[in-house]
Amino acid sequence: MATLLEARNLTKWYGNTLALDDVNFTVAEGVTGLLGPNGAGKSTAMKLFLGLLVPSDGSAMVMGEGSYENVAARARLGYMPERDCLPTAMTATEFLTHMAQISGLPPSEARSRTADVLRHVGLDEERYRSIGEYSTGMKQRVKLAQALVHDPVMVFLDEPTAGLDPVGREEMLALVRRTGREFGISIILSTHLMGDVETTCDSIIVLEGGAVVESGDVEGFTTESETVYIDVDGDAAGLLDALAARGLSASADGVSIAVESVADAEYDAIRDALAETGLRLRRLGTRRRRLSEIFRE
Amino acid sequence: MTTQEGQVFDLGYRHYEGPREGRARARKALFVNGVRTCFGLGRGGWAKVLPLLFLMALMAPAAILAALAGLLGDTFVAEALDLPGPADYYGIVWIILMLFAATIAPELLCPDRRDGVIDLYLVRPLSAEDYVLSRWLSFFAVSLIFIYAGQALLLTGLALGAGSATTIAPGISSPASSLTDYLRDNWLDIPRSLASGLAIAAVTTTIPLAAASLTTRRAYAALAVIALFLTSLTVSSILLEEVEQVGSWVRLIDFGGITLQVNDLIFDQYDDGDNRLPPVVAVAWWAVVVAVPAFILWWRYRRLVT
Repeated sequence: MATLLEARNLTKWYGNTLALDDVNFTVAEGVTGLLGPNGAGKSTAMKLFLGLLVPSDGSAMVMGEGSYENVAARARLGYMPERDCLPTAMTATEFLTHMAQISGLPPSEARSRTADVLRHVGLDEERYRSIGEYSTGMKQRVKLAQALVHDPVMVFLDEPTAGLDPVGREEMLALVRRTGREFGISIILSTHLMGDVETTCDSIIVLEGGAVVESGDVEGFTTESETVYIDVDGDAAGLLDALAARGLSASADGVSIAVESVADAEYDAIRDALAETGLRLRRLGTRRRRLSEIFRE
Repeated sequence: MTTQEGQVFDLGYRHYEGPREGRARARKALFVNGVRTCFGLGRGGWAKVLPLLFLMALMAPAAILAALAGLLGDTFVAEALDLPGPADYYGIVWIILMLFAATIAPELLCPDRRDGVIDLYLVRPLSAEDYVLSRWLSFFAVSLIFIYAGQALLLTGLALGAGSATTIAPGISSPASSLTDYLRDNWLDIPRSLASGLAIAAVTTTIPLAAASLTTRRAYAALAVIALFLTSLTVSSILLEEVEQVGSWVRLIDFGGITLQVNDLIFDQYDDGDNRLPPVVAVAWWAVVVAVPAFILWWRYRRLVT
C-alpha cells in the first residue's frame, strides 16, 4: 500500500511546551487510528499534516509534499475538527456547496457533489434547514460531509464521536467505516476511545507525551497478546500462588484469573496447578484482548 | 393489467472525476461569498434590512441635491444657496459611510473565527493571505458600490437637471444644449468621483477589517471603529478651536478628516489655508492610515498558522 503520510523527525514546540518530540512514523492507505490520552499530541500531529501548524523541526509530508509550504497539496485532504466549526445561519446545502468551491470545484459540480455527500451521510431530508437548528449528531454529520464533499484522498477526523450519545456514536462509527471501506477514502482517526479504534481502524499509532509509543496493525496487537482466562469455583487465591510457583504470570481479572502470554508447553503447568489446588474448573480458554486492556498496562 | 412500481437505485459512492480549479476558484468563491454576506443574501430577511437602509441613507442626500438642482436650475436662488455638488457629496455622507463600514465589515471576519470555520478554510487550497485578501477585496467592492451609487445618482441628476433647465431669459440655450454644456464643463467630476471613491473605500474597508481581526465579536469591532473615528474627529476639532498654537498638524489625528482632505485634493478644492495640511503630507498620511491597519490585518491572519 502507498504511503500517504510521513512524519520525519517531527517536532513541535508551543512556547516552552514540547507537544511533539522528534516523532517518526508513516501512514499507509486505509483507516489509521491516532490513539492517546488528552495532550498526547494527536491534534498537533494532525494540524501539522494539514498545514494549520508549522513544524518547529522536521517535516510532515502528505503524499510527498508539505501542505504548509504547498497550499495546492491540501486540495485532496479533508478535515473534521473536534471543536465547533459550522456557520449556524447557513443551510447545509449552501455551506457544503461553498466549501466544495473553496476546495476548487466549479459551482455546478460543487452543487452536485453536495447533494451526493449529504445523501451518503443521511442528511438528504434536512439539507435546506439552517445548521443552527440541527442536533449534535446532525452537526457531526455535516462536519463529516464537508470533509468529504471534494472527494479527498485522505480525511483527518478529530474525535468524530465527541459529544454523541451511544446510538449516535455507533452511527458515526458506521459512517466512518463506510467512508474507509466502501468509499475507499483513507482516514486518520484521532481519538482517546480505544473501542472506536478497535472497531474501525486497520492500524494504530499510539502517542503519549509527544512521542510514538506503539504502532502497528490492530489485528496484530489483539492476536499476538493472547491471554488464558481461568474461571474456577471457590477461592482463587491458592491458584494464583500455584501458578506463580510454576513461573507463570497470573492476575485476578474480575471473576477470572488471567494468565499472560501462555506458550503451548505451559498448559501442562496450568493443569498441574489446578490439580494441586483441587478447585473445580468451570472454564479455561483464550480470548483476544481488547486494546483498552493492552494499553491500560 | 400490470402496474410498474417505482424503484430506488442506490448508486453508491461515486468519486469525483471533474475539474479541480485550485486556489483561483477558492479565492473567487470566498470573494463572492463575502459580497453576498455584506448584502445579507442567503440569510434571513432581517440580514438584508441593514444594508438596504444604509444604501437608502447614502442615496437620499444625492437624490435631494439632484432634485433641488433640477427644480432650481440656473436661477439666482440656486446660486444664492450654493448647492453642494459632487465634490461635497462624500463629505456629506461620510458619517453614514463610516457607520456602514463599522457595522457591516466585521461580518466578514468575526463569525469565521468565532464559529471555527476559519480552520476549514485554511486546510483547503487557500493560504491565510488568500483568505484575508479575498475578504478585503469583497468588502472593498461592496464599499465602492455603496459609495458610487449616491455619487452616480447625483451626477446623473445634475446633468439631467441642467438638460431640463427652465429658460428664464431670452437667449439662453435649449435644454439639450444645456446638458451638453454641463457635461463639457463638468466631465472631470466623473473621473474625480471615481478616484475619490477609491481613496475613501480603501479607508472604510481597511480600518474596520483590521478592528474585526482583533476580536471575534462583531459589536466590539463596530464600536471600536465608531469610537476611533468620532474620538479622532472630536479631539482634533477641539484642539483646533481651543488651542491657538496647535496648527494644522493636529489634523493628523483625524482619520476621517484626512480622507476628506484627499477628496478635496482630487476635486481641486483644496485650500491651503484654514489649518490644512500641506497636500503631500495629507496624501502621505492617508497612505499611512490605510497601510497600518492593512499590516495589522495581514499580521493577525499570518499568526493563525504558526
